[in-house]
This record gives sequence, structure tokens and C-alpha cells, in this order.
Amino acid sequence: MIYTIVYGFTIGAILYFISIGLSLTFGTMRVINFAHTLTYTIGVYALITLIALLKGYFALVAGLAILLVIPISYVIERFVIRRLYGESLDYTFIATFAISLIGVDAIKWIWGVNPYPMNDPIGKYLVFSGLSVPIYRIVIVLIAILLFFGLNLFFKKTIVGKIVVASLEDKEGVRCLGINVDKYFSIVFVLGSALAALGGVLYAPISSIHPYMGLSILLLSFAVVIVGGMGNLNGTFFSAFALGMVMAVTARYWSQGAETMVFIVMAIVLIFKPIDI
Amino acid sequence: MLEIKDLNVAYGHARVLHDVSLKVETGQMAFFIGRNGAGKTTLLKTIIGLLKPQKGSITYQGDEISNLSPEELYQRGLRYVAQEKKVFGNLTVRENIEIAAFAAQEPLGQALDKVISLYPKLESFLKTKAGQLSGGQRQILLVGRALVGDPKFLLIDEPTQGLAAIVIGEIEKILSGLKDRVSAVIVEQNLAMVNRLADRVYILKEGKVAREIIDKSEIADTRGLEEYL
Ligand SMILES: Nc1ncnc2c1ncn2[C@@H]1O[C@H](COP(=O)(O)OP(=O)(O)O)[C@@H](O)[C@H]1O
Ligand SMILES: [Mg+2]
Repeated sequence: MIYTIVYGFTIGAILYFISIGLSLTFGTMRVINFAHTLTYTIGVYALITLIALLKGYFALVAGLAILLVIPISYVIERFVIRRLYGESLDYTFIATFAISLIGVDAIKWIWGVNPYPMNDPIGKYLVFSGLSVPIYRIVIVLIAILLFFGLNLFFKKTIVGKIVVASLEDKEGVRCLGINVDKYFSIVFVLGSALAALGGVLYAPISSIHPYMGLSILLLSFAVVIVGGMGNLNGTFFSAFALGMVMAVTARYWSQGAETMVFIVMAIVLIFKPIDI
Repeated sequence: MLEIKDLNVAYGHARVLHDVSLKVETGQMAFFIGRNGAGKTTLLKTIIGLLKPQKGSITYQGDEISNLSPEELYQRGLRYVAQEKKVFGNLTVRENIEIAAFAAQEPLGQALDKVISLYPKLESFLKTKAGQLSGGQRQILLVGRALVGDPKFLLIDEPTQGLAAIVIGEIEKILSGLKDRVSAVIVEQNLAMVNRLADRVYILKEGKVAREIIDKSEIADTRGLEEYL
């Protein structure tokens, strides 16, 4: 059982990292970003390329991989996403899906389609009362919890965070106070992409690395965002962990059904709390 | 100060404003009255740059502004208070003012003093989420927020709509305190208030200016205006 819980918390943490950006992009810009997990995948491939050069410095390489995603996501925001503000959701879907396909093909072209294996960068276990839990997974969960508090501080205490919170509610009101919201949306977008890349580099050592890894986790992240409430960051945190646990518990009894169960939960939530777009 | 000529505004194919012209001199308060759906809100949104006119000109301090964004118009001293009384409900009253102060690059203390001087009771609500304020308190916060920085021209949409008589009195007091300090276009259905505050009255009917009343003695006499409400 302890393994199920640890597994559920780990996948919950990873889903949380990825879902923040998705939730914020929808909440502020009303753009459903299907290219969101492209930055997650790019982060992972940057990681495996750099780790070959700098063996043994996992944290450093992970940091570099995330930094690399920042300019890429800025370009995506500036030249594609920003043109989609105020457009109908179908356009945002088609345009971002196209970026995501282009990105996946570029990854296949550069790195090939074969999966890359990676090792647990810590490789040590916490042993207590006969059970051993990988320390790496505990670290991932701790980072998620720290991030949760960090983001709360950011959105509650900094002026940039407050402007984003205000824009989530009333974008026109913020514009009419003379504030160029696009600039802040850009910051939010890059932040969300960098956090997706963080999820990618942390998850890579304990999952399989292939060009489509982003697409498969994207749908799970959408479920997290829908269950947690679009644009609701605290909701995203709790729904990520709840759905992670749903996956872990389902997998224990019916391994193929883990993802299905997430979408069943999402459907139930949608029945009782339809989203209004 | 503000002059609009032959303004036409449409939503898609549905034209809402037809050849609207008006003029507001520096320091004047112009009031717009008219039925629901007459196009009053559309007019204010067009002036502040949220909607683009199909045709016509808007000049402000001698410059054509119909192609400027709300952000640029803010820098020129225009302020818009929308009809929906939409404060930033997830932020506290203080944070609502903080955002306005940040935008205007005014020290927060000064901005807070300015807003509190309008309505001292607001001081005890500074830490309250703005979403929990009453309708009247929200409206006062919104007007206060608009006064941060150096406003020259206010656009206010139905400030007293749906409010209790006692709060309407407060808002009238605030507006009359602003008289001569700023210019304004205010949409208002409360004729007694229009009476006391207006320098000009425009009656909007089905997207057209049905009457323009400039004469003070005519403004003081609201008989006959009810039919336009
Ligand atoms: N976003 C919109 N899209 C289409 N039509 C609109 C929109 N907003 C307002 N209208 C229409 O424009 C007309 C004028 O509306 P509005 O300016 O809100 O009037 P008022 O403020 O005088 O009540 C109404 O017929 C209304 O239905
Ligand atoms: Mg209106």
C-alpha cells in the first residue's frame, strides 16, 4: 500500500507541475493550449542531451534544461498564442495543436523515435519498518509542496501576481487602469512552460522518454485542470494529487484502467459542475 | 476637451450608434440619459477604446483618439468606470487600490488617502476581499480607483443603478466634489441628480442623439424628460 501512496503522490506532483501553466493560460488568455506539454518534452530531451555531457550533475542539468525552455516558450507565446487572444476556442485549439505536432516531429527528427532509458538520479532508498521508498520520489513531492507555497506567495504578495489575479477576473478592468495585460500574460505563459519543463525533467528518470510523452500526459493534465477549476491554482494542486492517487489506486487493481479512471472522475465532475467558457 | 462627430458603432452587422455627435468642454460634466439598449454603454466603451467605431471621429484635447487603446487613453488621463460594478473581487480593497497606484505610478499611501477621503468608512474594509463589499461600496471603490493618478476625464456608466437611496446620496456627493476638477461623461437615469450636476444633457434614443440640452435653465427643468427613460 505504501508504494501505491508514494506512486500516487509522485504522479500527482508531476501532474501539478504540468497543469499550472495549462490552467493559467486558459484562465488569463482563454486559450486552450495543446502545445503546452511540448515544452515538457523539450525539457526532457534537453536533459538527456546535456546529461551525456555533464554526468552526475543532475540538478544542474535539470536547471539548464528548464532555462532553455524559457526562450522557446517566449517565442511560441509572442508569435502564436498572442495572436489568438479573443479568437474562438476552435482556432486556439487548431493553432496550438499544429505547434505541438510540428514540435513532436522536430524532436523525432533530432533525437529519433527510440525511447531513452534513464536512471533514478539519487538511487537511494528510505528504509523503515521493512519498506523501502525511493528518496527521489519523496524529493519530487517535496518540490511540489514547496512550489505550491511559492506560487501562493507569488500570487498573493507580488504586484505581478496580483495583476494576474485581477486579470483572471476582469481583463478589461485591468486594461482600463492603463496596464498592458499582454506583458503579464507573457510572463505567466513562460512561467507555466518552465514549470511544465520542471515536471518533465523530474519525471524523465522514472518514466519512459519518447517523442509522444507530452501528448499522453497532456490529456491527463486537462483532466486535472477541469477537475480543479480553470484558472484556480489551489484547485489544480489538490486535483492533481487526488487524480494521481486515483491513478495509483486503480493501477494496483487494474493496471490498464488507471488513465481511464481519471477521465471517469473528470466526467463525473463535469456532470455536477459544468464549465462555462 | 472631448468632441465626437458622426460616430457609428456596430456589433458585427448590428449597428448600435448612428451618427452620434457631442461635445464636452473642460471642467464640464455631460450626462447621458436614455432607455435600456439605447447605446449608452456602447458609447462609453467606444470612447475608452474597447470598441472601434465604424465611422466618425473622437477628438480629445485636439487629438484624434478613436484608434488608441484603453492603455494609451489611460496615460492621457481618461478613466472608465464600467456598469457592472466589477471590482477585482479576489483581491482586497487595499490591493484593488494598489493596482491602480502601480498603474499610475503613484505612491500607495497617497492613493489610499485619496480613496479613503472620498468615503472614510472604506478604511475599515481595506483588508476585506472586494468581492464581499456591498454594491454601493464597490461603486465607491471603483470611482476611487479611477481617481488614482491624475485623471482628467471620467467616463462613468450608471453609477447609482440598483443602489439604496442613502448610497446614491454618497455617490452624488463624491461626484459633486469632482465638479470643475475633472471633466466627465456620465450615464445616469436618476433625473434629480442629473438636474443638480449636469452642465450638458444628451438624450440617447435608439442609438441617436434625440436631444442636446445645453441651457442651464432647461437642464434644471426635467419635466418631459421622463418619457425618454
Ligand atoms: N456585445 C454585444 N454584442 C451584440 N450586441 C450588443 C452587445 N452589447 C450590446 N449590444 C446591443 O447594443 C444595443 C445597445 O446596448 P448598450 O450600449 O448596452 O445600451 P445601454 O447601455 O443604453 O442600455 C442593445 O440593443 C444591445 O442589445
Ligand atoms: Mg448600459
